Amino acid sequence: MSDLPSSISYMTQATRNGNQERESFHKFFECWIVEQDHHLHELVSASKDIEDRHQHHGGATAELNGRVLRPLLERVVQHYEHYYRAKSRWAKNDVLSMFNPSWRSSLEDAFLWIGGWRPSMAFHLLYSKSGLQLEARAIDDLILGLTNGDLSDLSTGQLGRVDALQKVTLREEKEITEKLAKLQETVADSSMVELSHAVSELIQEEAGDRVAEQEGRVEAALAPKEEGLVGVLEKADELRMKTLKGVIDILSPTQGVHFLIAAAELHLRVHDWGKKRDARHHQADSGGGVNGSNGHHRQ
Amino acid sequence: MAGMCYGVNMGETETSAPVEPSSRSARRRRMEIHQFNFVPTDSSVAPPPLEGGGGGRRKRQRILPAVVPVLSPMECMNGVQNCQVVQQKENQVAGELPPATKALDLSASPSCSANENGGNPDCPKFGMTSVCGRRRDMEDSVAIHPSFCRPDSNSTAGLHFFGVYDGHGCSHVASRCRDRMHEIVKHEFENGGSPSWERTMSESFSKMDKEVGEYCNGGAAVFISGCRCELQTPQCDAVGSTAVVAVVTPEKIVVSNCGDSRAVLCRNGVAIPLSVDHKPDRPDELNRIQEAGGRVIFWDGPRVLGVLAMSRAIGDNYLKPYVIPEPEVTITERTAEDECIILASDGLWDVVSNETACGVARMCLQSRKPPSPPRSPGNDITVTEAGESSDKACSDASILLTKLALARHSTDNVSVVVVDLRRI
Repeated sequence: MSDLPSSISYMTQATRNGNQERESFHKFFECWIVEQDHHLHELVSASKDIEDRHQHHGGATAELNGRVLRPLLERVVQHYEHYYRAKSRWAKNDVLSMFNPSWRSSLEDAFLWIGGWRPSMAFHLLYSKSGLQLEARAIDDLILGLTNGDLSDLSTGQLGRVDALQKVTLREEKEITEKLAKLQETVADSSMVELSHAVSELIQEEAGDRVAEQEGRVEAALAPKEEGLVGVLEKADELRMKTLKGVIDILSPTQGVHFLIAAAELHLRVHDWGKKRDARHHQADSGGGVNGSNGHHRQ
Repeated sequence: MAGMCYGVNMGETETSAPVEPSSRSARRRRMEIHQFNFVPTDSSVAPPPLEGGGGGRRKRQRILPAVVPVLSPMECMNGVQNCQVVQQKENQVAGELPPATKALDLSASPSCSANENGGNPDCPKFGMTSVCGRRRDMEDSVAIHPSFCRPDSNSTAGLHFFGVYDGHGCSHVASRCRDRMHEIVKHEFENGGSPSWERTMSESFSKMDKEVGEYCNGGAAVFISGCRCELQTPQCDAVGSTAVVAVVTPEKIVVSNCGDSRAVLCRNGVAIPLSVDHKPDRPDELNRIQEAGGRVIFWDGPRVLGVLAMSRAIGDNYLKPYVIPEPEVTITERTAEDECIILASDGLWDVVSNETACGVARMCLQSRKPPSPPRSPGNDITVTEAGESSDKACSDASILLTKLALARHSTDNVSVVVVDLRRI
């Protein structure tokens, strides 16, 4: 991977041109997801190498860990970091689009938590994948303590650390949710209620020019709310990244590869499925000619 | 006491039936190592407790006919690690146990010192795992106190305490049980003058329940704040916990249970439940609730007043007198064939049958050699660094059972304690 990832070039170019609108992050996302697919291929092929070595040499060797697996894990994790860096830059200019992302399907949208994946989901992903790998093994091997290096081999120490990380993550996730709740409630604070009343009266009086005069006040009232959203989004994205890195840190390189494969597969497939559903609904709507779009369909 | 007959004729409760997803049956069959048929017994035919000859300070209650075992001291290779576990509990982080054990400062442990335990020849080996799993709140607590008290001042053989508490509504009743139950039992045992273990345990559970109730009514400051309900009284009243407590003496296993956590004995490969889950639809429990004027309503399963899915618990003031803290106590004579006991919350039992659990635990204990010889210098797995946790084989068993529960989609907190009963 010596060539510059296209999402990076796109980000530099977009920032250089001051091209900050919603459309540009959409394009960045599409580049990024293609790169994620490349990484998935690399991860899968690494996991096959590991399996080969396991059969012939009884496990991933230090050499394989150092030369291949660790750099690969690092690269994939950096790719996530790169995503959140770009997202944070765009969010500062158009935070609302991050909460209503046009680059996501409605399916993904419905399951988002503050503009992204729910951090505590990482543990469900880990337990599900680990469970599937555990079930694929013979109970005798497990009882004898034979290891094959995948997620079924989570040790006592690892499970303890995962559990501790999960508790911290859940707590922080709840705190951020609470922050968002407080912010959302300020939509009905007295300044907003007063302002909406004032403007409504003007509209009733058909005093159009004076409605326009209020625009400044409207902007002033909404600005801190948007700033609040930027702050909450930043915290949410930080927690996502912290959780991902935290899990990878607990896992061995081989397990890390398995975990990142599961994460990428889930992300990419849910995205595909969502897009297909959207396309189907879109077709049905336009084909039937009834009521066109309800405004929630994505391209 | 609901007078169930404990022994080979033990009736397996509905809830303990394995919940097996249908696919992958071949693999599953391998997991189901032992299959036994349990014949349900009518509660009325349960033999009355026999009064044993008063050789000791206490009258002995024999329920299980048992061979009097030849006592040989068990090794206590893990006294220090045991203490670490106890202290870890007192740091309130059951699930974080394993990684933290290394760094713990033993001197800070008030209830168990390395010296006290290291010299105890009767100290059982055990392993414990307790994780949040797929739930958004951790409401399980585990307490392990080897040698928590002595039968009398002359005795060197200690009594060992193991408790699993699965909270509902919030975690604070379960945490309170974890912190206090063994102290209450010890006090009750030493000062209560109760003639029997049944009375001792029943009194202890009742005191535990009163303590929890008092804390809710004004004494809340004593609790470490930060629990979900913040001890606001109306919610606080709706908080409770299961309690399954095993006191292991040189001769017997005393299991006291309230709620749907469970203790199972593995004896010569046979899974013998030492407690029966308190489910509201258990016929005797249903009767008791109805006689008290309560009702069991089906709302996502049978629930007392349509609310609580168990018929006994510590706490839950608002459901009294239908939900009671009175434990069912079983006293089982230890035999040379006893392999281990497993105490666990329903996070395990909902998805793993008694038989499977015993099969897995016993095989882990039997393969007690360091399980994974280092294969290659580059083996990147940290699973097998031996001697890190309380007892390797027991820990292996508890973690494997926990992973099995998670693999079988347990949606609850999972807490598992495995105590090695083999006399070496």
